[in-house]
Amino acid sequence: MKTAQFFNARRLRVLIILACCAGAVIAWRLIDIQLVSHRHYARAAEENRTQIIYQTAPRGRILASNGAVIAGNLPAFSLYYMPAGRPPDKEYTDALAADISLHLSMPKEEVLLKLNSAFKSGKATLLLQNVSPRKIFAAAELRVYYSGLYILEETKRYYPPGPFASHMIGYMGAMDNKSWLRLGGDADYRLNSRIGKSGIEKHYEADLKGRDGGLMLEVDHVGRVKRIIKDNKWRAGSDIYTTLNFEAQQAAQDGIKNSLTGRGAVVALDPKTGAVLAMASAPDFDPNIFTPYGDEEALQSKKISIPEYNLAIQGMYPPASPFKIITAIAAAQTDRLDVHEEVNCTGKIVLNGREFKCWHRHGEHIDFMKGMAQSCDTYFYTLGLKTGASHIEQIERMFRFGRQTGIDLPFEKSGNLYGPAKRARNKTYWFGGDTLNLSIGQGELLVTPVQMAVFAAALASKGKIWRPYYIERITDADGKNTFVSAPQQLAEAKLKDGVYELIQQSLKDVVDNATGRAARIKGIDVYGKTGTAQNPHGDDHGWFVAFSAREGQEPDFAIAVLIEHGKGGAGAAAPVAREVIKAFYGIK
Amino acid sequence: MIMKLSGQIIKRRKLDYTLLAALFMLITVGFLVVLSAAGGLSFGGEIVHKYIAAVPLAAGAFLFGWLFNYQIYNEQWKAVYVFILTLLATVLFAGTVVRNTSGWFRLGPFSMQPAEICRIALVLVAAAFLTRNSRNIKEFKTLFFFGLLIVPAFLLIMLQPDFSSLVITAPALLIMLYAAGVNLFYFALLGAFALAAAAFPVMWTFTALRPEVMETNALMYIVGRMAHNWVYAAGFCAAVLAMAALVWRGLKLFRVYLPAVFVFIMAGAVIAGFWGGFLVNKHLKNYQRKRIEAFLYPEADPKGAGYNVLQAQIAMGAGGVTGKGLFSGTQSKLGFVPEKHTDFILAVLGEELGRFGTLGVLALYMILLWRVAIIAKAASDIYGSLVCCGVFGIFFTYMLVNFGMLIGFVPVAGVPLPFISYGGSNLVASMWAFGVVQSVYSRRLSVV
Repeated sequence: MKTAQFFNARRLRVLIILACCAGAVIAWRLIDIQLVSHRHYARAAEENRTQIIYQTAPRGRILASNGAVIAGNLPAFSLYYMPAGRPPDKEYTDALAADISLHLSMPKEEVLLKLNSAFKSGKATLLLQNVSPRKIFAAAELRVYYSGLYILEETKRYYPPGPFASHMIGYMGAMDNKSWLRLGGDADYRLNSRIGKSGIEKHYEADLKGRDGGLMLEVDHVGRVKRIIKDNKWRAGSDIYTTLNFEAQQAAQDGIKNSLTGRGAVVALDPKTGAVLAMASAPDFDPNIFTPYGDEEALQSKKISIPEYNLAIQGMYPPASPFKIITAIAAAQTDRLDVHEEVNCTGKIVLNGREFKCWHRHGEHIDFMKGMAQSCDTYFYTLGLKTGASHIEQIERMFRFGRQTGIDLPFEKSGNLYGPAKRARNKTYWFGGDTLNLSIGQGELLVTPVQMAVFAAALASKGKIWRPYYIERITDADGKNTFVSAPQQLAEAKLKDGVYELIQQSLKDVVDNATGRAARIKGIDVYGKTGTAQNPHGDDHGWFVAFSAREGQEPDFAIAVLIEHGKGGAGAAAPVAREVIKAFYGIK
Repeated sequence: MIMKLSGQIIKRRKLDYTLLAALFMLITVGFLVVLSAAGGLSFGGEIVHKYIAAVPLAAGAFLFGWLFNYQIYNEQWKAVYVFILTLLATVLFAGTVVRNTSGWFRLGPFSMQPAEICRIALVLVAAAFLTRNSRNIKEFKTLFFFGLLIVPAFLLIMLQPDFSSLVITAPALLIMLYAAGVNLFYFALLGAFALAAAAFPVMWTFTALRPEVMETNALMYIVGRMAHNWVYAAGFCAAVLAMAALVWRGLKLFRVYLPAVFVFIMAGAVIAGFWGGFLVNKHLKNYQRKRIEAFLYPEADPKGAGYNVLQAQIAMGAGGVTGKGLFSGTQSKLGFVPEKHTDFILAVLGEELGRFGTLGVLALYMILLWRVAIIAKAASDIYGSLVCCGVFGIFFTYMLVNFGMLIGFVPVAGVPLPFISYGGSNLVASMWAFGVVQSVYSRRLSVV
């Protein structure tokens, strides 16, 4: 062929083969990318164009039994930054951070930190939570100049009555390491989620939480929102109806606050069910201080400063005079109580060479009713010696002293049971003086206010020992009850016929005529016993344990009031109980 | 009327319709994809207008290339050469600066990139020179003068600077040299030089990026030190020379008598390549180094230098078999694919038309190359053949670099894909080139 002279056909063939090889390699890679790895790339493309913003569902409310809102929600705005594509240059970021820090009063360094984390993760990042409506207008204006800013309406927790059974209701806070381990598996929890940190807010987190919503947005390469692809509506959390009586609770808190020391606890129960009608512990706190989400450090110091110690279930005190009821019951049960037998109170009793004092010199002719009314120690020393410590301890056990009441709150103390059997178990001795101390509720005996309330309820209901509960029902967003509480009776303290009637009669006498006069209310039958718990470290604590009924009806309110360092039950505790009882019955 | 040529049957026709059809299909696909890519751009309207204006111009360029006797370029090659140099020199002074590159003539709404025209013209000049020296093509002298001829044009292009234009032209000229029958030893030399010149900057970028490899790998430690330490650099040169001596001596033991000159010239090429690489490494611009880094580790910094390629691959991969449909690619529409109407147009194509689109365009390109090769064989003179080889080289390189960049085999060089990418000057120049090829075909050997 003639061409061959001019031109080297062999080398041309090499070139063609080279081109074919190159084409084959390219085709192989194209098939690899477009066919084999298609799913991987398709997902990457989808992640590129979509941004997901979570919308926190409105948290379920916590309500008092009359429907008053204890914990609710307020609308709040959040500012998000949506990164997209390539991170913008430093100048742009600086300008954006400067503007945000200027208009939303947020440190520039913090803005920069959050922006950078947004760039790094490529995910929508929360810049500022709980932006005030005035500032949100400034943010809306910034959106015009900077793409990627997005404003979202959410809700924040709000507690309308402020401090209100705060130890029971609890408060909200930021996610922490421990909670993350527990909740992180749930898709609804994110690192910036707010969770309940104590009380009902923590305990019923799963019910209150609801289901978060989310917006799926299509964004372009600079983060401008093009359209909303999917809008998953949130589902509000369940409402929790507590058994708390709004007025009684308020009165209890005010009562403690206005008392001598402002420290103490009130527990009120329904003697027919064991429902907690009021549970106040002071000092308390306002859970609203935790809701302006933002400055974590300030919140941390606030958290340390709040009194989280719930005196109503964690405070342990000697029961003092109200315990004389147990001594009386023990005597009656063993047929050693003669209500007409009289004792001469000389202000003291001498046993084995040791003097045991009465708080007052009551004189001669102290019978049972007088002994109870005057709370005469000498009378009960005598009665205790006659009955014997073992029998008193038996009744003590019958009314479940020294055991947790089982209220569904963490860290409940069980108090300390005191008696010869307990001593024997501890391999120490029981002396005669111990019997005297036990008879009047002093010594090593320790109880919590909630235990005393349960005791009062048992006296009111003639032996029914309830497990206190405070959740009436839980109602989900559709109005369906997901939980309705059932009263739970732990034990029944069965006594001989007429014993409860006798005790009730004597307690009524205490309020009507003697030490408990401060709790007397017209139209209401109040049965109560004051007490003064000896305190070696300072002023004595004041007790008032009572139950009440509308005149002539069955008792429907049991209460235990403790005022720390209140000096005496009659002066400090009884007036508080009076206010709470009045509030409960709606008496002005 | 039918002539048999190494298995290929070429009918007596004035036009190669297969080539024409492939061109037509490429332009159609390209137009649609540019239309789609322009849709998401702020200056999209302008692009479409310019593209529509460029199509008749391209048709004119094709007709000019076809009807004009290509042998006249051979005859008047000096005039063409002067034309190239004048055009490139003028654009340096009178050109408009776009993105720090003075490569544009602007006249009212029209603008033109002379480098595109010069690329084809340079092939015509190179072919003419090689034709004239076809008898002493094996001599080194020829190669030397060829270099002297090319260097001024290259220098002028580098002054613009238009790096991507060189990336296309240099390999095309090499392919021409190869086809013209230059001694393979020179290619080996050139290969050794180029390998050393390219490998060292890449390795130094690698050691700078990952200093820890220098501690674990003794070889990498030496290589890394060579970038800064003269002792190590000199040691390397000495080692290469010693190695060459050893190879020469060793071959002698096996009764292979290789002239010592060859071995040492080879060693010299490697050393020269090393110093070339040294110079390149010193003068590598920051963005260029970034591209090398992105090529070495595309996943290392997905938001940084590797971003472009990664996004383009995501777009292509997301297209799958059938694609998301024309005008509905999210990656391109929402702006994630950069330079989507020019360098990364294949990503748009892949996303919207899927595997059919990319493989189809690849197939059309292969058809183009095949036809050009056939025409090179059928040409009536050596000049025609060499011109065809030059055109083959140019489009082969385009295909290799553009596709290769997208599939991650070649660093990003900023090279468009002719017929598919937007670019009026490129389209006009490419159509002119294929017009010239058609001209060669029409005037092929007429053995009846």
